[in-house]
Amino acid sequence: MSDPKMKFLVVDDFSTMRRIVRNLLKELGFTNVDEAEDGAVALQKLNSAPFDFVVTDWNMPNMDGLTLLQTIRQTPHLKHLPVLMVTAEAKKENIIAAAQAGASGYIVKPFTAATMSEKLEKIFEKMGKKAAA
Amino acid sequence: MSDFAGMEDLLQDFLIEAGDLLSGVDNKLVDLERAPDDRNLLNEIFRGFHTIKGGAGFLNATELVTLCHLTENLFDNLRNGQLEITPEVMDVILEATGTVRDMFASLEQGTQPSPAEGELIGRLRQAIAGELAGGQSVADAGAEAPAAHAPAAASASPAGKAGPDWELLHGALVGVPALKEVREVKPPAAAVMPAAPVKAPEEVIKAATGRRASDKPGAAAPAGRREGEKQRDNSIRVDTTRLDQVLNLSGEIGLTKNRLNALRSDILSGRNDTETLHSLDLAVSQLDLLVSDLQNAVMKTRMQPIGRLFQKYPRIARDLARNMGKDVELVLAGEETEIDKTMIEDLADPIIHLIRNAVDHGVEDSAERTANGKPEKSIVRLEARQEGDHIVILVADDGRGMNAERLRAKAVEKGLITDEESNAMDERQSFNLVFLPGFSMAVQVSDVSGRGVGMDVVRTNIQKLNGNIEIQSVLGKGTTFVISLPLTLAILPVLLVRLGDQPFAVPLSMVREILPIEAREVQEVGGRATMVVRGEVLPILPLAGLLGWPLDRSPGYGVLMQTAEMSFILAIDSFAGREDAVIKSLDDFRPKGVAGVTTLSNGQIVLILDMKELLGSAGDQRWMSRLSLMAKKPVLAA
Repeated sequence: MSDPKMKFLVVDDFSTMRRIVRNLLKELGFTNVDEAEDGAVALQKLNSAPFDFVVTDWNMPNMDGLTLLQTIRQTPHLKHLPVLMVTAEAKKENIIAAAQAGASGYIVKPFTAATMSEKLEKIFEKMGKKAAA
Repeated sequence: MSDFAGMEDLLQDFLIEAGDLLSGVDNKLVDLERAPDDRNLLNEIFRGFHTIKGGAGFLNATELVTLCHLTENLFDNLRNGQLEITPEVMDVILEATGTVRDMFASLEQGTQPSPAEGELIGRLRQAIAGELAGGQSVADAGAEAPAAHAPAAASASPAGKAGPDWELLHGALVGVPALKEVREVKPPAAAVMPAAPVKAPEEVIKAATGRRASDKPGAAAPAGRREGEKQRDNSIRVDTTRLDQVLNLSGEIGLTKNRLNALRSDILSGRNDTETLHSLDLAVSQLDLLVSDLQNAVMKTRMQPIGRLFQKYPRIARDLARNMGKDVELVLAGEETEIDKTMIEDLADPIIHLIRNAVDHGVEDSAERTANGKPEKSIVRLEARQEGDHIVILVADDGRGMNAERLRAKAVEKGLITDEESNAMDERQSFNLVFLPGFSMAVQVSDVSGRGVGMDVVRTNIQKLNGNIEIQSVLGKGTTFVISLPLTLAILPVLLVRLGDQPFAVPLSMVREILPIEAREVQEVGGRATMVVRGEVLPILPLAGLLGWPLDRSPGYGVLMQTAEMSFILAIDSFAGREDAVIKSLDDFRPKGVAGVTTLSNGQIVLILDMKELLGSAGDQRWMSRLSLMAKKPVLAA
């Protein structure tokens, strides 16, 4: 499942953060990465080109990560996309909200490539199971 | 050596982006003081701290993370309506923001910031709990707020509040190990609110403003900051569409080059019919167009909106005004005006000084304003706009204006000018006295200005950018400082003048007009050769004399030039017109009075003169007399 050609969309309003995530993904062998600076731009990109994975920040102007996640889950051709939430927030209510909205994973900043790899593996595993079932 | 080995790139990116973000936050804080209930503002500021925290985490800047985290929590409570903004809370917020900026400065030096003062952290925690002096917590939030924002406590009892769903969801989402991780991240937040003694408001203000003592234009502080900025100099953020344009144009130029190559082969092999020559003509003109487009496009990559610079100032103005017990609003205009990046950096300090000057000396205090029938709140306007090939920056106040007579008296008293000089001065020249080193109008030396350093430095800095600064002032109505700058430092419009066959370039920005010099119009005043132009007596300075050349003939023309200090007529033999000089600096070899060189279209190399330096080296004024100027005829005849 972890095909190195997978196309990632990294959504964050802070370009330094996008670059960090992009570098971490590169370390893990994923080089096909596009970026969006908020949820609204992300949706536009998702609607105009096929993506395999979304990594999104929570707190963003225009459209935040949670709304993006909810919108993805409500859009028929996008709802199967794995979405990994990346945020500095480790608050319980945030994690619950993300879970309820259908996040595939949740990762707290700062994190290392190893943590990210672990999360991605878990998600791929789950997706593999789903695909097999 | 550095605490950030291997992360330098990341650190640079972070500092640039987070620095912008923090300036934005600073600005919004000023707005927030005027509209404390604006949810949007609160949200944006919250997000600012949140984002900085997120980035800082990756740099392992723990202290920065802790501080941002607390400030963010405070804003979370504010935007949720659990707390209300009071002046005390505002002070804590401003101080925290200042500390964040100090931490950025430390990061810039490649060292991990030291922890924020315990006292500040304590007050932040108190503010979050709604316990800060005067801090009114809404309803019973005082009890609820700390609980809601102490996640460690919450995650320690995961089954507590959220019911059974929570563990299931959490497990499904992050897996069991992650729960541990969440716990690990958060423990500091569980710390007990320290009951630091509440400070008297005056002390709070002192603490809040004193912290920024390093921001003030003292002698040492700007120098240190300058160094930091030099480090940052190397990177620039460019809109990708602009880069694409550069790429596109260089591609086009490549195509045209190929076309020219083909034509060259044709011509070399003997084809020189009209059609070939016509194609050559077309290709060359196309190249011409493309190259100038490319030059423009490359220049544009260096252009940045000046708003990035302006952002810093409302906060500074606010702090200063508050410090001095004045009510001042800094109004920005023209933030989108674009200007060369290096100039933005070099403008930062001069503009700060002008704003300080406006707040300190320019505007009156409320009592005086009311007495004069003015609105209590004074407005200082900071505005930028492009006028032709110049950028104009205004710092305008609606204060008491400048009194030309008092300025002159002061200058005489300080021994900066003589009585005689004073009497000959018009209003504009009198205003310009404030730019003299050692001139300070403040009767009482205040903390922020009035040391007499500054205004002359402001002018020197502006002149270094090939710009000039002028003062317009109406007594009782206000004062406006007008800075005018070239669009870029790379291209300098010049006037080509000649001495014999040798051309020289002088900056066009200083040239007012060109006039013929007739021997009979030259008069000797006080031992100097002068000429009367529209009633004004102007000294004639022969360029040959300034350069140390022999004065063996009468000059044919004079160029009326104006610098901030003086107007004079530069005597030359003839002139060759204007040109946009691309300045090549002489790195290792720089003769006095030469700013650089440029190449004319015919390949000739021309020296660009640094008038200020030339005038400064003029020391011995022997050659200024009418006799020496007119040496040829009268002296020889005698």
